[in-house]
Amino acid sequence: MLASVLLKTLRDQARQLLAWALSLVLIVAMYAAVWPSVQSQPSISGFIEQMPEAFRSLFATSSADMSTPTGYIQVELLSFMGPIAVLIYAVSAGAGAIGGEEDRHTMDLLLSNPVGRGRVVVDKFLAMVAGTFVLAAVMGVSLVLEGSLVDLVLPADMVAAAMLHLALLGVVFGSLALALSAGTGRTGISRGVPAVLAVLAYIVNALAPLVEVFDRIQKVSPFFQYIAHDPLRNGTAWDSVLVSAATIAVLVALAVAGFRRRDVAG
Amino acid sequence: MVRLAGLSKRFGRTTALDDVSLTIEPGEVFGYLGPNGAGKTTTIRLLMGMLRPTSGTASVLGLDTWRQSRDVHRLVGYVPGEPALYDRLTGHQHVAYCSHLRHRDDGRRAAEVADRLELDLGRAARTLSRGNRQKLAVVLAVMSRPRLLVLDEPTSGIDPLVQQVFHSILREHTTDGGSALFSSHVLGEVERVADRIGVVRAGKLVAVERLQDLAARSLHRVRAHFAEDVSAAEFAVVPGVRDVLVDGRMLSCNAPQSALDALLKRVSAREVEDFECSEAPLEETFLSYYGMGNTGNAARHPAAAGAEARHAG
Repeated sequence: MLASVLLKTLRDQARQLLAWALSLVLIVAMYAAVWPSVQSQPSISGFIEQMPEAFRSLFATSSADMSTPTGYIQVELLSFMGPIAVLIYAVSAGAGAIGGEEDRHTMDLLLSNPVGRGRVVVDKFLAMVAGTFVLAAVMGVSLVLEGSLVDLVLPADMVAAAMLHLALLGVVFGSLALALSAGTGRTGISRGVPAVLAVLAYIVNALAPLVEVFDRIQKVSPFFQYIAHDPLRNGTAWDSVLVSAATIAVLVALAVAGFRRRDVAG
Repeated sequence: MVRLAGLSKRFGRTTALDDVSLTIEPGEVFGYLGPNGAGKTTTIRLLMGMLRPTSGTASVLGLDTWRQSRDVHRLVGYVPGEPALYDRLTGHQHVAYCSHLRHRDDGRRAAEVADRLELDLGRAARTLSRGNRQKLAVVLAVMSRPRLLVLDEPTSGIDPLVQQVFHSILREHTTDGGSALFSSHVLGEVERVADRIGVVRAGKLVAVERLQDLAARSLHRVRAHFAEDVSAAEFAVVPGVRDVLVDGRMLSCNAPQSALDALLKRVSAREVEDFECSEAPLEETFLSYYGMGNTGNAARHPAAAGAEARHAG
């Protein structure tokens, strides 16, 4: 596990990743456990419909019907808990990538070897991508397996599509954190700015139907690429995947350029 | 081997390094001396391509240390001033990681050096004492048999016996044609291994001297006890005499060999009760010429000292 910066970074994250994966399995198990009682109470759907519109937009995406497995998972997991978990992991991995090694003063040791700075950034990025996809995969597999135990039946291909979009959402904000980390070396800023922007992007996308300004910029929000087309029902939206991939590519290029031109803190 | 040309580095408005030029020849150990905060670490991190020069260039075997840092790092072994290691990795794992990054297998050489330094490579870095961390940093720097060693206070925290082992490793390195830049804030640490020394103060290189030449100018410490009060002025006028101190009937001063005769004649013009003359350690000679007092310099150049404190280590 010490053969490259990529493997070394994954090794460093192993414990953290394991803890996250375990938490996700438990979160999904909790939703699965509650499902039978939700299903037997159709009034919950009515309850959601009675919520003020702004509230409904914020916490329940589009026309979610809580009495179907797809609607239930959409509202409970995909609108809120899932993105939060994946974003926290991806942003902290991205922010710690370069700035973290500088904070621990190990960057001098790493860079004194014949390793290009671009290589270091790309390897750190790939480790963050791998970790994010692993977490999304764990969540998807838990959904299908744990769901099948309690009659929460979800089509596996739709779950896979939703998880792909969820992972891309994580990687977009993780790459932003990486770009800030590589460009400034400051872990705090690299963590804080993407967190604030993620909340804003979430609100813009959720309240777009109600607020005209948000409606105009909705498509810029990574949350729009993630959930607006309802992946759990409609599968993968390749145009959204493309937009996310392009965003990520630009951010990684900025990260490499930023790290190449600045002083490294010792 | 190493060539610094007009090298300067500013951090914001503070100048940490100001127009430093020097060369280091193959097979040479260059002692880089200066008080803490004078610019030693800044110079070294410029040489390692960690910092971008504000102006001027640094090169190793003709390769620019900023633009071709990857190629430079193939030729250089580096011991950072604050040896930072991966806490959870053992010595062996550090060796393995750096070997992979260098695409070399230096395990055997690393084990051999660790053995000579009496370092246990099996322990995790976080359990190592400061001295042992320093040793591990030395192992990682020398294991790939680099052409140039860049050493930022490599022997601080290492006990004298191990320092001797380190010195012999350094001599083997130079016998094979390798060079070294060896920084320290005390002359004593480098005087046994350095061929030349450079003194940096407040970001400026104030002197470069062969150690032999410095030894030739070595000072004698002179003390005399007179039967009557004397004044400092009558001894200070002797050319070459330094650090004249008079306390009532006591005189103490430093003088190079060339000034001893004139000084002695002045002294013997008075009634002498006691007299003492001894060769001062090289360290004292050095301090007298270049005044390396840490506090004095830090106080005179707080800006430069502060700049390095922020960026050092």
